[in-house]
Amino acid sequence: MARKAKPRKDPWPRPHTGPLTWCRDHLRVARDTLHFVSARLGTSLLVWLLLGIALALPAGLFLLQINLAGMTTAWEGRPGLSVYFDLGLADAEIAATAAALGSRSEISVVKVTSQAEALQEFQTYTSLANALDLLAENPLPASLRATLAEGASLADLELVAEFAGRSAGVSEVVVEKTWLERVTDITRIVSRLGLMLGVLFGVGAVLVTATSVRLAIEARLEELRVLKLVGATDRQIRRPYLYFGAFYGLGGGLIAAMLISLCLLIVETPLTHLLGSYGQDLEMSGFDPKFLLALLAVGGILGIAGALLAARQRLADLEIT
Amino acid sequence: MGRIEFHQVTKRFENGHEALKDISLEFEEGSMTFLTGHSGAGKSTFLKLLMCLEKPSRGQILVNGVNVTQISSRRLSYYRQNLGAVYQDHHLLAHRTVFDNVALPLRVSGMREKDIARRVRAALSRVGLLPKEQLFPGHLSTGEQQRVGIARAVVPRPKILLADEPTGNLDPELSQDIMHLFEQFNQVGTTVIVASHDHSLIESMGSRIIELSNGSIVRDEINVSR
Repeated sequence: MARKAKPRKDPWPRPHTGPLTWCRDHLRVARDTLHFVSARLGTSLLVWLLLGIALALPAGLFLLQINLAGMTTAWEGRPGLSVYFDLGLADAEIAATAAALGSRSEISVVKVTSQAEALQEFQTYTSLANALDLLAENPLPASLRATLAEGASLADLELVAEFAGRSAGVSEVVVEKTWLERVTDITRIVSRLGLMLGVLFGVGAVLVTATSVRLAIEARLEELRVLKLVGATDRQIRRPYLYFGAFYGLGGGLIAAMLISLCLLIVETPLTHLLGSYGQDLEMSGFDPKFLLALLAVGGILGIAGALLAARQRLADLEIT
Repeated sequence: MGRIEFHQVTKRFENGHEALKDISLEFEEGSMTFLTGHSGAGKSTFLKLLMCLEKPSRGQILVNGVNVTQISSRRLSYYRQNLGAVYQDHHLLAHRTVFDNVALPLRVSGMREKDIARRVRAALSRVGLLPKEQLFPGHLSTGEQQRVGIARAVVPRPKILLADEPTGNLDPELSQDIMHLFEQFNQVGTTVIVASHDHSLIESMGSRIIELSNGSIVRDEINVSR
């Protein structure tokens, strides 16, 4: 039986370093990088501002989109339909139609207005009350208003309208969806615009970080050469620059959050006024700790991506002599 | 772990200049060798090839049986961690203290800070710079900077120690001290190769002397004068 050749021992094995050493090294590099960034505060602020603006625009549009989407369901004049009955239709038939509509899953609320109630409302809210006295009988029909349930779509509204139109004694069905369609269209546009801007500004953020990291690499070329000479691995050499990217990205995320809150502060008064005119309170949703954390995380990730790009490009052709 | 072999190594630069011509040499593990020769003879190129800072145009360089001209980037890093090198132009980091400069190879190899502090101070003490550990290289004389470079080279206790004109900026007395330091490393099994044109210093050491001239070996003998 042939003897197996004894494998030659690796003369330069990978150094055995535990997780503690690894953590300590990361901490030291993070501290050094933070020191480098803070020592060049002017440049760092400019980078943070650039990244902040790049992140704030898509993030702001995202907030706008989720609030517009929220409005379509939360607004007081919620989508629904009005059903007008023939004059003199019996209350029982009106109640039957209301019950049939109310039992549908797409409908949340059905509110019936009798002929008498319609007249009373007309007299209360208009200055033409006396004009009706001249008529022999009440010309206003009984009606009902059916409000769409949460989650129901415009297609559901069409189905309900068709169903209501086939009911006995129904004179007219008015679907109140025009404004809803507009809001939905606007939401779609804002959403797509946000996505497009998100991609564009995301790429911009990566390039800004890559350029800044590239400058940092150029400023520390001698150090990189020495590190290579003493045996630092590519990963060790790249590490400080990934921290650069992360710090720039996190700072950019923070600036973006500040810019968005500043914008919200500026538009708060006119927006409150506008929504108030629709009987709606201003309740901004989405700008919460989760959103802020996501903004910081996205900033950090984009920053690291930019740093990786710069480090890979520059360090690959780094010559040491 | 410090056997070195050069097999028919030639180094030709882009401008056509041949710095080394068909060199074949062997360095036993734990040996001490001086490379000498006039300026431009090929001493520095020889060391740079061994440090993998240059690639040979032809031939093989084996260290412990491994062709170091063809190893991966990662293995090259681990190889360099086992290599102590003193450079003519020191390669010190201006914005780091003497202590941090010397600690650099130990940090790269992932040593604990407590051990790093002990080893760095011991190395600085050997080169007489312990009182200046918190100074920056810019505050030191050229000779002191050279000694910091030497401390950085010896601090990881390398298996191979390469020095390019390590005593170029030192006075004769300090030069002797540094050579004795290299000798002490050699005595514990480190392979030492020193490039120097200081003939009187080289002749005072009882080591192998290889003289290069225009990229070729013109002398290879053991100095028994001591």
